[in-house]
Amino acid sequence: MEVIVILIGASLLVAIGFLIAFIWSVKSGQYQDTYTPSVRILLDENKEEQNQTNNSKK
Amino acid sequence: MELEKFSYDNKIVRNFAFATMLWGVVGMLVGLLIATQLFAPELNFSIPFLTFGRIRPLHTNAVIFAFVGNAIFMGVYYSLPRLLKTPMFSKVLSNIHFWGWQLIIVAAAITLPLGITTSKEYAELEWPIDIAITLVWVVFGINMIGTLIKRRESHIYVAIWFYIATWVTVAVLHIVNSFEIPVTLFKSYSLYAGVQDALVQWWYGHNAVAFFLTTPYLGLMYYYLPKAANRPVYSYRLSILHFWTLIFIYIWAGPHHLLYSALPDWAQSLGTVFSVMLIAPSWGGMINGLLTLRGAWDRVRQDPILKFMVVAVTAYGMATFEGPTLSLKNVNAIAHFTDWIIAHVHVGALGWNGFLTFGILYWLIPRLWKTNLYSVKMANVHFWIGFLGIVFYAFSMWFSGITQSLMWKQFNDLGTLQYPNFLETVLQIVPMYIIRAIGGTLYLAGVVLMIYNLVKTIKQGSFLAEETAEAPALHPFKDPFKKGTRHRWLEGKPVYFTIASLVVILIGGIVEFVPTFLVKSNIPTIASVKPYTPLELQGRDIYIREACNSCHSQLVRPFRSETERYGEYSKAGEYVYDHPFLWGSKRTGPDLHRIGGKYPNSWHYLHMENPRSMSPGSLMPPYPWLLENDLNTSTTAAKIRALRKIGVPYPEGYENIANDELVKQADAIALDLQKNGIPVEPQKEIIALIAYLQRLGTDIKVNKQTAQK
Amino acid sequence: MNSVTKNTQLICYHCGQDCPDDSIHLEDKYFCCNGCKTVFEILNQNQLCNYYNFGSNPGISPSTVIDKKYDYLDERDVIEKLVDFKDDKFTSLTFYIPQMHCSSCIWLLENLYKLNSAVVQSKVNFVRKELSVRFLHEKLSLKELVKLLASIGYEPQISLDSVEQKKEQHPNRHLYYKVGIAGFCFGNIMLFSFPEYFSIDITETFLKKFFSYLNLILALPVFFYSASDYFISAFKGLRKKVVNIDVPISLGILVLFIRSAYEILFNVGAGYFDSMAGLVFFLLIGKILQEKTYDALNFERDYKAYFPLSVTIKQNEVEKSIPVSKLMIGNRILIRKNEIIPADSILINGDGIIDYSFVTGESHPVSKVSGEMIYAGGRQLGGAIELEVIKEVSQSYLTRLWNNDTFNNIGESYFTRFSNTVSKYFTIIVLLLAIASGAYWLTVDLKTAVHVFTSVLIVACPCALALSTPFTLGNAMRILGRNKFYLKNSSVIEEMAKINEIVFDKTGTITESGKADIIFNGKVLTPFEQKLVKSLVRNSTHPLSKKIYDSISGEEIFPVTNFQEITGKGISGIVYGNLLKLGSSSFAGVENNEDETLQTKIYLSINEQVVGKFIVSNSYRDGIEDVIKNLSKHYHLSLLSGDNEGEKSTLEKFFGEKSNLNFRQSPEDKLIYIKEQQSKGKKVLMLGDGLNDAGALSKSDVGIAVTDDISNFSPACDAILHGSELKKLPKFLEYAKDGVKIIYASFVISFLYNLIGLSFAVEAKLSPILAAILMPVSSISVVVFATVMTNIFGKKRGLTWK
Repeated sequence: MEVIVILIGASLLVAIGFLIAFIWSVKSGQYQDTYTPSVRILLDENKEEQNQTNNSKK
Repeated sequence: MELEKFSYDNKIVRNFAFATMLWGVVGMLVGLLIATQLFAPELNFSIPFLTFGRIRPLHTNAVIFAFVGNAIFMGVYYSLPRLLKTPMFSKVLSNIHFWGWQLIIVAAAITLPLGITTSKEYAELEWPIDIAITLVWVVFGINMIGTLIKRRESHIYVAIWFYIATWVTVAVLHIVNSFEIPVTLFKSYSLYAGVQDALVQWWYGHNAVAFFLTTPYLGLMYYYLPKAANRPVYSYRLSILHFWTLIFIYIWAGPHHLLYSALPDWAQSLGTVFSVMLIAPSWGGMINGLLTLRGAWDRVRQDPILKFMVVAVTAYGMATFEGPTLSLKNVNAIAHFTDWIIAHVHVGALGWNGFLTFGILYWLIPRLWKTNLYSVKMANVHFWIGFLGIVFYAFSMWFSGITQSLMWKQFNDLGTLQYPNFLETVLQIVPMYIIRAIGGTLYLAGVVLMIYNLVKTIKQGSFLAEETAEAPALHPFKDPFKKGTRHRWLEGKPVYFTIASLVVILIGGIVEFVPTFLVKSNIPTIASVKPYTPLELQGRDIYIREACNSCHSQLVRPFRSETERYGEYSKAGEYVYDHPFLWGSKRTGPDLHRIGGKYPNSWHYLHMENPRSMSPGSLMPPYPWLLENDLNTSTTAAKIRALRKIGVPYPEGYENIANDELVKQADAIALDLQKNGIPVEPQKEIIALIAYLQRLGTDIKVNKQTAQK
Repeated sequence: MNSVTKNTQLICYHCGQDCPDDSIHLEDKYFCCNGCKTVFEILNQNQLCNYYNFGSNPGISPSTVIDKKYDYLDERDVIEKLVDFKDDKFTSLTFYIPQMHCSSCIWLLENLYKLNSAVVQSKVNFVRKELSVRFLHEKLSLKELVKLLASIGYEPQISLDSVEQKKEQHPNRHLYYKVGIAGFCFGNIMLFSFPEYFSIDITETFLKKFFSYLNLILALPVFFYSASDYFISAFKGLRKKVVNIDVPISLGILVLFIRSAYEILFNVGAGYFDSMAGLVFFLLIGKILQEKTYDALNFERDYKAYFPLSVTIKQNEVEKSIPVSKLMIGNRILIRKNEIIPADSILINGDGIIDYSFVTGESHPVSKVSGEMIYAGGRQLGGAIELEVIKEVSQSYLTRLWNNDTFNNIGESYFTRFSNTVSKYFTIIVLLLAIASGAYWLTVDLKTAVHVFTSVLIVACPCALALSTPFTLGNAMRILGRNKFYLKNSSVIEEMAKINEIVFDKTGTITESGKADIIFNGKVLTPFEQKLVKSLVRNSTHPLSKKIYDSISGEEIFPVTNFQEITGKGISGIVYGNLLKLGSSSFAGVENNEDETLQTKIYLSINEQVVGKFIVSNSYRDGIEDVIKNLSKHYHLSLLSGDNEGEKSTLEKFFGEKSNLNFRQSPEDKLIYIKEQQSKGKKVLMLGDGLNDAGALSKSDVGIAVTDDISNFSPACDAILHGSELKKLPKFLEYAKDGVKIIYASFVISFLYNLIGLSFAVEAKLSPILAAILMPVSSISVVVFATVMTNIFGKKRGLTWK
């Protein structure tokens, strides 16, 4: 079953990689604001156009 | 002036969208074909390239990597630049990515029917294509990370995290699982053997599902669902939590595919525990998706896009609940090897991936062509027949899975099996196969309708190739918490740093690990287990070519019902020379691990010629070409050499005498057949296959010493 | 979306408020005011009308911008204070903009660069209502930027505390990393312990080793980083010869770590790293919970907000504004109407009419003449005045006063105090117990002995004990705060529970001074006479004088000579050669023969000749009668009034015989009275108004300043009670008692936890992991208990608590 060493090794590396990414994202203030970004993604387009094209709008 | 004008490349999005639709139809068509072959075997028109075994991998690959794959890229190439307020890093790379990926798909579509396969599920493609995949994937990675680095929006939206996770993990999975030693341009052997190979394969197999079919689509969900609903996601906080918990748990759940296998108990339990833990984040995500539409259900009623997405998210919830359930040992004992698993994966594929893709296409195409959807009504029709298709599919497969499993386990009062003949249990569920095919047809019809609808939409619109946008250059606001220069190295180019370091360490580690462990760990724990003879080896490769393992398992689980039916349960030690392992994951036909010596050679010969002659009503297709084609023995020496390299103890110089040995054994079998009135030359492929089948699982019978694990 | 005109009522296209009429409009778009119209025009010119598509009528009507208002923003030091950072080209800073309320706001504020090309980037934090802006400071000054924002209706709030906000969160961040790391390692250690749990088969010794070493590696960051706080604080404590609660905890962790490391390195066993990581992880979670609650308990109002951010100083006849912190002794400062005096200073010229209500709770302004001392925190109500600073802001009485307030660390005081006393003995006992039981088990075998030893150390934790008090009182305090009863700190609650004597002040406390209205009755005063009176009263800070001053119109003021003010009697002085006396009947020289009514009369005599009287009619606070009656059942009451016996009879009705009513009380008298009561062993609660009764309030065990203006603040008092809530006083007192009960209850609970835990531990029946879970559970459950109970009682006492 020694192959498990490889799998755990690989998995752990990925995990640690993500841990680093996580710490970075907290450090760099990625999560200081946990609301505005969700709105911001809706604001990137011209609404007038959207009113015509996006039939999913009221 | 700091304000910068730039433009988003819509061409690449369009290309991927077209590829998605094209391959979607192809993949589903093949699926439909193999589904019908399961009740009408003659539909392979006795053409080798159309037999079930060869085109099932075509179906899975086409749907997963061609349909879903292209859909992912379509979604990413549209959303990523817009989320980061910058065009993609490089148009050239984008195009290399696109055409590279399509080439790989074409290569797969050619090689798989030709029987060029590694036999590892979802990783069937042979080594040259594996390398191509790696390269294209790296191109995609560079393109994505490059875009991240030159972004104009400091915040990395949660969807992007899902994209990154997808890229990193799939890269690692693909590399680790694809370690194989080439024999010829189109043939290689997995570096791992038996149980280890199985473990690696399902660690990959599971995570492929997790990180190719799930995380990227969650990313898409978090972008396109709010967009389509025109309201922010219910809780952005929750979505962040969803991501991190999912990432940290998912990667460990792989072993649940190997419950009751020869895998050590603790590894199995581990798989179960983590699979169960997965429910939490998954449902968190589902709820988050559904609650996004709170107060907008009236719109869901009229808007097909939202309808598709709602069903998709619900399907995600169902699948992520069913998965952990299936990973419970006692449930798994019933479900494993049956159609229940087929139902499970198709709820995910048809519901979650399919419907979300359709929703996105309906939303995206009109935007790219600056027009409205040609017919909302038609889209609604698509929704309903698609939905009906899923229902037909899932329920028929659930039913057939459970029915058959129960029949397998059914004992009568005398304490013997109620249905000793496997075929009985198969014939029982043929009607379900028919219903399933109907479901598939409905679903496919829906897709065709969608394509018509979208083509019409495109006709009436005008394509916007370059979408101009403007945004101020990004100067991250200095974070008041950060004083001093600590962690500067980390802040510089974080994503790049993470991934680069990861890949480097990983490759280093693997290179170090592989030789030490694998070779040394393949020392047989059962004395009587010997390497395959050259003829058996060739036979085994035919077995792989025809992908017998897609219908026949080679793993007798330690249940009375199975030992009763097949013989002694399988031991880890028996597989040490199996490069690759051939446990299979589905029993459309009976298990073959103890087939060796069960029937005379003549039986196998006639059975291969026409299965129905031996077992009337069998669903197995005939393999006449095995009787006609001559066995290619030119590769024998190379194969022996390759296997020796990875630890199979063939004596030095054995490759030189290998073919003589092969001929000897072939003659013997041919002679036996001729005795039984079957005129056959010893150089035919069938001889090798018979040799292999007759060897299967016989090692431990050799001397009646009961083997310990 | 864009339809704005409702056939019945016109709605402002910009802000959505009703339009008074259809006078203001552009084409079909109507506006409620020109402000809104201008904003629309600005947006329109810049093709920013998308603004109106994200939400319907999202706009905010802009407040009229006074030009001089933002002058201080040109001041270098102010800018440096505000900006996050600045290089040769760019400045970036963060504004607090409470007005933002919808996605349109976000959109507009993040598209500022379209309004002014000098803005290179603007980013919204909607939850915090913050806007981070980066701009080219050559092209655009901070002042202009603020004006730009104000002009489109998003006027930023700039004040000291918005500057200081930034420093706050800093410490906890590291706590979060610690938790993150601990959590990650905990998870993985658990994972790699699975083989152990599921009894990995003997053959796989290699993997066994592999896993346990992996655990060892993962345990290192937990031990050295995540758990560091506990070791440090324990060490610090021990060095100060104080055994704080972190000592037993760190002892537990230490023992666990060493034992596990030993087991693995010497291949004896798999170790308890899973327990250790778990313990640390849960501990840190508890810590975060604690901090979060403390934050929540923080006093709603931050007094620093009243400081002006900058002040205009006069240097050789040149006026320039500098930040308060730069103010130095000897500076000449200019204070305009409604500005706050930033530091104790001497009035140089101009008439000071200073409202000390921030400081004292006394709402009537004080007038100052040149040469007089003016204390920081007062607000100038008159025209511009010139002052010379005599104390630096930092040292000044005012800042001392405000810094002293323990609003920001409610409970912590308890936490430390508690741990210093109890946890010393606690720890010692626990140690002894651990050693004893360990020694006992040693006779059986070492493994169990160590096991018991560790278990005892881990499970016995005073956290729960320590938490109960601050959480109970803290939450009770918050609930009281919601009832407009603001306590200086949580210990006041304990004091309140002990009270047995309640002393009332009359004016402004049981009467509503605010409502008082004044009439003159007697011979009609000539304008000249009126001026005389006005000039006289202008010099007095007495509430009544102020009232009279206000009641007389006209600006012209005569100088006043030999002005006198006799407390409790009246004021006199010579104005324009006339001797004026104003005050009680006897003071003015009239026989007081009229029947008593609920009125205060101020008699006026000019040149020893009574011309009439000002009649100030007071009104009692509604419900006051019941309150007093109610209280008199449980407490001994007394009344101290500065006025005459005018209302004695009425008041006696309220108070009953038992209570003693004293009139004509000078502030000193009141103070003395309180002392007397206390010397009799009474615990005195006094209700009075901030300024006049300051002495008495601070002397009494619980001094409550009753005020009708919530922004009032008295340094002397322990609590501020909004006049309208006076009727709830009995409830408050009851509630205080409940609070103390709750504390005792939670003490019992946490003791039980320890008993249970220990009883298991000494019997070696408690696995470290179980202990690691039990302990945080105990702390958390105590916290929950305290919070829930305080809320329940709050409801029971009919106090609003949501």
